[in-house]
This record gives sequence, C-alpha cells and structure tokens, in this order.
Amino acid sequence: MKGLAPLFLGIFGTFAFSWVGLTVVPNLQIGQLNPQSDEEGTDIYPMPQSGMFERGARVYASNGCVYCHSQQVRADYAGADIERKWGDRRSAPRDYIFQRPVFLGKMRMGQDIANIGARAPAEQESPSPGGSPAGPSTAAAQTPASATAQSAAHGVQTPGAVAPAQSAGAASAGTSPAASPTSAPPKSAVVAAPGTSVASPSPGAPAVPAASPAAPTVTGAPWPEQTAGLPPMYSAAWHHVHLYSPRSINIDSNMPSYRFLYRMRRIGAGSRSDALQLTGSDAPPEGWEIVPTFEAKCLVAYLMALNQSHPLKEVRSAGPAAAASPVASPSTAPGGKPPK
Amino acid sequence: MNPAGIPLKEPSVVAAAGDTEQLERAIIDASTRVPVLIFYISAVAWLILGTLLAGFVSFKLHTPDLLSDVSFLTWGRVRPAHMNVMVYGWACMAGIGTAIWLMARLCRTVLRYPLLLVAAAGFWNLGVFLGLAGILLGDSTGYQWLEFPSYSAIILFVAYTLVASWTVLMFRFRRGEQIYITQWYLLGAFLWFPWLYAAGQLMLFVVPLQGVLQSAIGWWYANNLLFLWFGAIGLGTAYYMIPKVIGRPVYSYHLAMIGFWTYALFSSWTGMQRLVDGPFPAWMVTASIAATILTLIPVATVGLNHHMTMQGYFPLMRYSPTLRFTVFGAMSYTVFSLLGVLISLRSVARYVNFTQASIAYSHLGLYAFFTMVIFGSMYYIVPRLIGREWRYASLIKLHFWASAYGIGLMTLMLLAGGLAQGLSMENPSLAFSESVETVLPYLRGRSLSGILLTVSHFIFAYHFGLMIFGLGRKATVPTFLNPVEAEGTEAHI
Repeated sequence: MKGLAPLFLGIFGTFAFSWVGLTVVPNLQIGQLNPQSDEEGTDIYPMPQSGMFERGARVYASNGCVYCHSQQVRADYAGADIERKWGDRRSAPRDYIFQRPVFLGKMRMGQDIANIGARAPAEQESPSPGGSPAGPSTAAAQTPASATAQSAAHGVQTPGAVAPAQSAGAASAGTSPAASPTSAPPKSAVVAAPGTSVASPSPGAPAVPAASPAAPTVTGAPWPEQTAGLPPMYSAAWHHVHLYSPRSINIDSNMPSYRFLYRMRRIGAGSRSDALQLTGSDAPPEGWEIVPTFEAKCLVAYLMALNQSHPLKEVRSAGPAAAASPVASPSTAPGGKPPK
Repeated sequence: MNPAGIPLKEPSVVAAAGDTEQLERAIIDASTRVPVLIFYISAVAWLILGTLLAGFVSFKLHTPDLLSDVSFLTWGRVRPAHMNVMVYGWACMAGIGTAIWLMARLCRTVLRYPLLLVAAAGFWNLGVFLGLAGILLGDSTGYQWLEFPSYSAIILFVAYTLVASWTVLMFRFRRGEQIYITQWYLLGAFLWFPWLYAAGQLMLFVVPLQGVLQSAIGWWYANNLLFLWFGAIGLGTAYYMIPKVIGRPVYSYHLAMIGFWTYALFSSWTGMQRLVDGPFPAWMVTASIAATILTLIPVATVGLNHHMTMQGYFPLMRYSPTLRFTVFGAMSYTVFSLLGVLISLRSVARYVNFTQASIAYSHLGLYAFFTMVIFGSMYYIVPRLIGREWRYASLIKLHFWASAYGIGLMTLMLLAGGLAQGLSMENPSLAFSESVETVLPYLRGRSLSGILLTVSHFIFAYHFGLMIFGLGRKATVPTFLNPVEAEGTEAHI
C-alpha cells in the first residue's frame, strides 16, 4: 500500500461505520423511550427511582455483584429463564430506562435477579428507614387462587408491585408511585398507545394504586414462603441475613459474605429494630447485635426495587395467563374482593 | 529441513563493520531503548501483580469465604481489579512497547521525541495505579471493561493521546514509500483506540445513553478493544516477527491486504453477540453474529498467509523462542475466532451465554493470542535493546510450556465447565444451585492452570529482570531453545 491518505480514510471509515451502526442507530431507535401508561395516565411504568435506589446501585457496582448476577429475563423460546420463575415475561429495553448503570450481566454464578423485588412477601416487617409499607394490604394484595391467574395478578398489581420495594427504603424520597403517581415525566401519557395488545390489563389498573403494598406472591414459585427461624424469603430482613451469611440460608450457596457492610454494636437501651436475626455460629455474642450500615440498607432497597413484573405493551406475557388477564383483572381488582 | 541451514539472524548490535543496513538497525534499536524498556518494565510489573490477583480471584470463586470480610478483598472488587490490571497495565503497556519498536524499525528512522513516550508511560502507570486503587476502594463504575473511575480514565486518555500523536509524528519522518503490513495494523490500532475509548467514555459517563444502550456501548467497546486494539497489535506483530525470524518475505501481500480490510470492516461490527437474547432489538444482535461469522474471512486469509510463509520452516520453532511464541499466538488467533463464532450462534449461546465459557473466550483472545505474541516479540526485542542475550534457554522453554499448558488447561476447563453449567441451567427441573455445583470442579481445575501460569510469569519476570540488570549472556548468537546441531560452524549464518 502506498500513500497514507487511503489508509487513514479506510481506518476512519470502518470505525465510523461500526460506530454509527451499533451505537447511533440503536440510540435513534430505543434511546428515547418513555414510561408507558394507560389512557388516564395513571398506571405508569417504569417509575423514576429513589435516591436510595441510586445509592444501592452504586454499592452493587462497587462490590461487583454484576459479575455473578444477571438482570435480564430471556424470552421463553431463548432460554429457561421464565420456566425458572425468574420472571413472567422477557425483559424489554423500557424496563431499564431509569437505571444507570444498567447491570444486564454476563454471568450466572448466581441467580438472575431482574425480578428479585417482585418475590418479596406481601407482609414484611420492613426494618428500613421510611417505615413499613403503609396502606391497606387487602384489596388487590391477595393472590388469585388459580395458578393460571397468577400472571394476571401481576398485571393487576402494577405500580403497587413496585411500591413495597421502594417504600421499604425510599418512601421518604417521595417517589413511591402510590404517593405521587404524577411524578413521572409529563410525556408519559403520550406513550399510552391505544390497545396494542389485548392482554393489557390496564382497565383494572386505576383502582389499584391505592393498595400500594400489594406484592405479587408467586404461588408456584420454587422457593418457600417461610424458612425455619429466618425472616420470610426475599423480605428486607432476609436479604440482610443472606448478605451477611449466605450459607446460613443455603448451605450450597457460593456467594461470598458481605460482612463488611454490617457493624457489630453493643445492645444499649434496647435492641435496634433493624438488627439482624442471626442464629447458630453467625449470631453475635451475648449483649451485641449486628446492624446494617447505610450502604447495606441502600443495597437492599435497590434489590427490593428490582421488579419487572408490570406488563409491557410491547412484550407478550408468558403462557395462557396472558390471555386470561383481561378477563381476570376487572373482576378481581376494582371490586377489591379477594377471590380466596 | 536441515537445522544447520537455519537462517536465524544474529543480533544487529554486533553488526559487522561495513554492513550499513545492520548498522542502521542497530542505531534505530538503540534510540528506542529507553521508552520501550520503560513500557516493558512497567508491563511486567503489572503482569506479576495481575497474576497474583488472578490466582486470588480463581481461588475465591470456589472458596467464597476466603478473606471475604475485608471490603477491598471481596471477590467482586478483586475480579475487576485483576482484569483491568491485565488489560490496561500489562497488555496495553507491553503492546505499546512492542508497537513503538516496530514503528521505529519500519519507519526506518531513529525514534524522535522520546520524552513524549516517557511522559506517556508515566501517565499511563499513574492512571492504572489510580484506577486499581479506585476499584479496590469501591469506586468501580460497574461497566465491564471500563471499571476504572473517571479520574483514572482521564489520565489514561492523556497518556494515550501522547502515544498516538507520537505515532503520527513518526510517520512524517518515515523513509521509503512502501508501508509494510505491520504498519497498517499499528496505525489502525493507534487511531482506533482513542476514538473507541473516547466514544465509550463519552456515551457512558459524559452524555450517558439511556437504559440498555449502556450495556450495548459497553460490549461494543469491549469487543472492539479486543479486536481493533489488541487484535491489530497482535496481528501486526505476528506479520513482522514470523517473516523476520525465518528470513523470508510474507507469502502474499494481496492476501494480507484483503485480510486487513475485511478485519477492520467485520470485526468492528462484533460485540452485540454477547448480548444475545437480551432486551435489545434483535437486528443488533443478529448483525453482530453475522459480523462474527464474516470475521472468518480475515481469519482464513491471515492464517493462510502465515501458514504459507511458514511452510517448510516449521522446524525452526524448535530453536527460536520468538517464533515459537509467535506461531502459538497466531494459531490461537484462529482458535479464538472459531470459538467466537461457535459461541455466538444462537443455538449455542442459549446454553453458554451466562456461563464460564465467555471467560474462556476472553482469555483465549487476550492471553493465548495476544499475550503469547507479545512474549514472542519481547524475546526478540529486549536483547536488541540491551545488547545481551537471554541467559537461560531452559527458562524460556519452561516459560513457554507453562504458559501453553496453563492457558490450554484453563480454556478447556472453562469451556467444559461452562457447557456443563449451561446445560444444567437450561434444565429447569434441576435446582439452580445444581448448575453452580456442576461448574465448581472445573473452577478448581482452572485454579490449577492458574498455578501454571503464575509459575510461567514469575520465570519470565526473573529472566527479564536478569536482562534488565545486564546479567544476560554476552554472545554473538541469539539464545536458541535447543542447541543447533553442527554448532559453531553454520549456526549464525
């Protein structure tokens, strides 16, 4: 090859081609997504995240959780993620629009946690600041008895499903959907495309936000509701015990413990409400207790806000439940009558 | 062939009087001594640190309670620390060192503006050090391959800009019309890297893209760093070293040109295949899978070109350390690319996407291909800078075999383990923890390979240290791995 000009141009051209093709064009396509909402502009998903969520994401990044845990559910034809109950539907770009950084992950030495917040029990004694999720937990909180309606329930509980997780750590930040459903960007109403999917459960939704702590109790899930001597699985207290001593919960766990996120303190006038419920060899000596640092609380608030159970119009929900949802949702949710 | 007819060149520093070409090379080599050695010494220091971190990471992965109570030794911090030290500390610095030397040789001019390079090396080391400290103290950005916090990234970029501007300056002083194949690759690498790094940093941290596009940018950056930066330097070095050592021109210049342009075009479009079935428009992933398959064209042309150049000269690998490492690296490039195509196919990716197999892929590219080629080039270049020959052939042999078996074992373990892991993960009737249990024995095997690699790197660092302290052999013949038969008569023809 003679002359530098063609070489320079070629080198620049190939690079520019790739840059435009793989970053600029996708940015035009999915770079300015808005939250979706129904016609009334109430059932908004996803919602902007709280300050504690952001802090928790920093803790997640700095301790490298992403190297073992992915946060993406593949479609049913592409993997066994949905069969493993890691989610009811595949993840979509819109699920992540308020997240930075995004931790899609490339490794599953641990479970996928895209929906770990959705697995939290409905009733939880949230030890985190911001108080326990308030409000009546009766109306839509109950799980429909039939397994086929399970996904419908997820649909119905829409923003409420996000709420317990957020209010666990972040009600004070004022972004809880129940507290201020209008806090979403004003544009969001625009994206409520008219009936792109028959499976959309939006008719039932407006009634729901009042029942904020409604959490999707997954009936057929492979994890027990209660573990002996331990807090309910996937509750905030459980997360703290799990982070502090993973093998006290699952002997086969390969997760390192994160004891440096916790402090031992002498029990003063009274035990702190957020002290960890530890047993056996993990328990601190008499007169001492283990309490989470603020970082640990943020991390747990972050984990409990990871929830993609809200249906998206562009994504088909899994299984026959999707077809059942428009029928099931108006009958269960607005009436507020638990089918049990 | 008759080993006595071995055309291995004697070191140019002892060029016979009157041989102007040899003399000219010796002068150029001498002018590159300080900057190249600074880059090499830093690189070897980072290599040793990165190796220790690697062993720690590997053991912790199957022994999670090992020193886990100290925040800066938690697995999730040591792992990115290891990776970034290896990528930016060892691989980048060693690659730049080799590239500087090749540039001076191929521009056929003494190295100008050495202070620019010395400053760049200083900044680079500072950047890597700050980045490493940042990661260990919990300042990681959380984007894979770009974990260094912004204060480190800016320093690295400044250092890099110095190197790139030096390259362009050197080109202005070059003699001769012809631009050799190696220079295409080096010029490409030196120009692609700053654009790539700037694009990655800008689109993630300065004007961050929305949502999942951050992941897309991240993998686009990572794959292009692997191909357009490390790959280009590695291939360019191989294109120089193989013909140089065997004393024979490259088989086909046109084949090389096809290989270069298809490489630039197709490999730059890869990256999204790592996000297969993720929350992205399907066309992005499909485009990258197609591009990955198309990289078989440059792989075939480059591989064919090297093979035809080496045709009949393979027995020389018995003697020349440089040739042995370089050919191993060039062959690994083919394996690396074939594996890349295999694990990017959707039907395979379904099983191996979230497993250790992707770690195997990265190690094949960065170690079996790039690092081995760079080792080879260091065995060639360092004696020419110092004026001494490598002291012990046995240490070079040990280094080679420990590295080759180490990376071979690691790749096999991670691939087999990843496949087993993926197969149990995709079987929902098995508990998830079964998939982790399945891969643990393979991870212990990987730790074993890590011991081999540690041994190999310590041997190399020791040998390199001997050279730096002037304890190499004073000899007129290069250190051959095996004694050349009929030595003393025709050995250094």
